[in-house]
Amino acid sequence: MTPIVQIRELTRVYQQGEIDVTALDNISLDIPDGDFVALMGPSGSGKSTLLHIMAGIDRPTRGSCVVRGVDVAKLSETELAEWRNHHIGFVFQTFNLIPVLTAFENVEMPLLLTGLTASERRAHVEAALELVGLKDRMHHQPRQLSGGQEQRVAIARALVTDPTLIVADEPTGNLDAKSATEVLNLLVALNRDAGKTIIMVTHDPKAAAHARRVLHLEKGELLKDEETPR
Amino acid sequence: MTIAGFILRNALRNKRRLTLTILSVSLSLFLFTTLQTALRELTQPPSTSDSALRLITRHRVSLANVLPEKYQYRIQQVPGVEVVSKFTWFGGIYQDEKNFFPQFAVEPEKIFRIFTEAKVDPLELDAFIKERTACIVGIKTMERFGWKIGDRITLRGTIWDCNPELVIRGVYREGIDETNLFFHHDYFNELMNDLGVTGTFWLRVRDEAAVQPVIDAIDASFRNSDAETKTETERAFQLGFVSMFGNIKMLIGSISTVIVFTMVLVTASTMSMAIRERMRELAVLKAIGFNGRQVFSLILAESFGLAMAGGLLGCVGAWALFSNIDVYKATQGFFIKFDVTPHILASGLLLAGLLGAISCIAPAWASIRMSVVTGLKETD
Ligand SMILES: Nc1ncnc2c1ncn2[C@@H]1O[C@H](COP(=O)(O)OP(=O)(O)OP(=O)(O)O)[C@@H](O)[C@H]1O
Ligand SMILES: [Mg+2]
Repeated sequence: MTPIVQIRELTRVYQQGEIDVTALDNISLDIPDGDFVALMGPSGSGKSTLLHIMAGIDRPTRGSCVVRGVDVAKLSETELAEWRNHHIGFVFQTFNLIPVLTAFENVEMPLLLTGLTASERRAHVEAALELVGLKDRMHHQPRQLSGGQEQRVAIARALVTDPTLIVADEPTGNLDAKSATEVLNLLVALNRDAGKTIIMVTHDPKAAAHARRVLHLEKGELLKDEETPR
Repeated sequence: MTIAGFILRNALRNKRRLTLTILSVSLSLFLFTTLQTALRELTQPPSTSDSALRLITRHRVSLANVLPEKYQYRIQQVPGVEVVSKFTWFGGIYQDEKNFFPQFAVEPEKIFRIFTEAKVDPLELDAFIKERTACIVGIKTMERFGWKIGDRITLRGTIWDCNPELVIRGVYREGIDETNLFFHHDYFNELMNDLGVTGTFWLRVRDEAAVQPVIDAIDASFRNSDAETKTETERAFQLGFVSMFGNIKMLIGSISTVIVFTMVLVTASTMSMAIRERMRELAVLKAIGFNGRQVFSLILAESFGLAMAGGLLGCVGAWALFSNIDVYKATQGFFIKFDVTPHILASGLLLAGLLGAISCIAPAWASIRMSVVTGLKETD
């Protein structure tokens, strides 16, 4: 079976004034469907950059990143936006819910761009909130929720469109240990039970241990590809 | 939720900002509407088909120069002229200077054949014509001073050295300026010891085709005389009169421009603040699939909505206010009418709409061009 993500000789160079910063250096990587990958590495090693390129919000300087047969870098900005809506679910460190919207409405946001009717949207949103265990909080605003609950709403928003990939950049970075465990268990369940492909950046080895596979980056290079025992 | 609901939620997120923006836009547009209405009232005297048939003959040099009474016979002979009346601005004071209203010495039996639009009770008109010291007054001035038919009033002359003592015998309404007082030119002449002059002649011609030939004929007839004449239509006459206020049009125009400019600054700064504090949210929207055009539409709709809300409040507020207060009384007779026309309303609202669009373009453009990754790094 062809991998869902195929990265070939990917390099990303940032120009910072006179100096070129090589954030990613000639990386090649395959991620099969249904995988749960943790990206680890010291600060500045290029974890977020790699994640952003796979998620179609950044572009490689050289090389290619093909997601389910589509070379992401070849899409125009407008095509890319629509592609993200269909294929990517984002989970951020700082949750990034829209403060003026309820949990329900936040989860509904990505569906507003699809052709679904209001009742179809409602069904999808309720199912997603059910999955993260927050159906009873759907009319709460973000400020009425705990950090862990906010992040679970964000996960519901990420999966409501049934995307190809869920990308999470330090999803537990702003959470206490208990909430972090809840969120990680949720991701594990999504991967194991719903077959979601998840790529998660983390600093925390305990978080990384929840993944099927851990990748280490250092100075923009991929170090080793170790299978973690489940 | 719908996209429209989302836009509304964004607009309402900061109540203080919302209130202040709407208030400042609505105040500005209220002022704009008021100024435009004032400008229109000053520069566009009513033009009915009757008024198109009215001509004024005056001294060629200026309105301050008078004409000999006897010109009337020659004017009357000009083909196409139906009626002609002596017509002298009296400009007297009734009790106090602030009680200003226009007064004219006219020929009573002719004046309402010239101002055909005005409505007068035939019995009152008859009484006005028959009594040498009678006068007839527009309804607005009657109401302003609480006068009744039979009341006696004295005008103190300022331009003319005499004080007519008049008795009100009639009231006219509608059609023409309802503030005038008309009294007998003969009585005026008698008080002036048979001076034999008139300020102007007002005449009515047979039909519109006669207007230009009559103008040409009258002015030609007095060329090279001691007092050459200038004959013009009522409309041209009133427009010339308005220019005596100085360049009011330019003044009002420049005030309006300043208002509009201030509004653009206010809304633009509000919108740019609103957008800047939301950079990260906009980046999130883009991450979850909104494209540049859609994000731009969200911002544009919000800005447009805010400006339109303010615009509606200001323009419709002005309209409601001026159609419910007696502007004639409130301005002590300076403005007779104060109609906020559909045209003025529409231009005010158009202005508000444009304002909403223009003021968000720069910040919206900046937020669209910013990459998602940069936007996500923004802190609140
Ligand atoms: N927009 C940018 N302009 C210039 N350099 C950048 C930019 N974004 C990232 N970099 C550089 O690229 C390198 C990799 O950055 P990246 O954010 O991917 O690191 P990271 O592994 O996610 O670090 P952290 O764990 O601190 O989040 C760093 O050296 C960083 O300074
Ligand atoms: Mg990072």
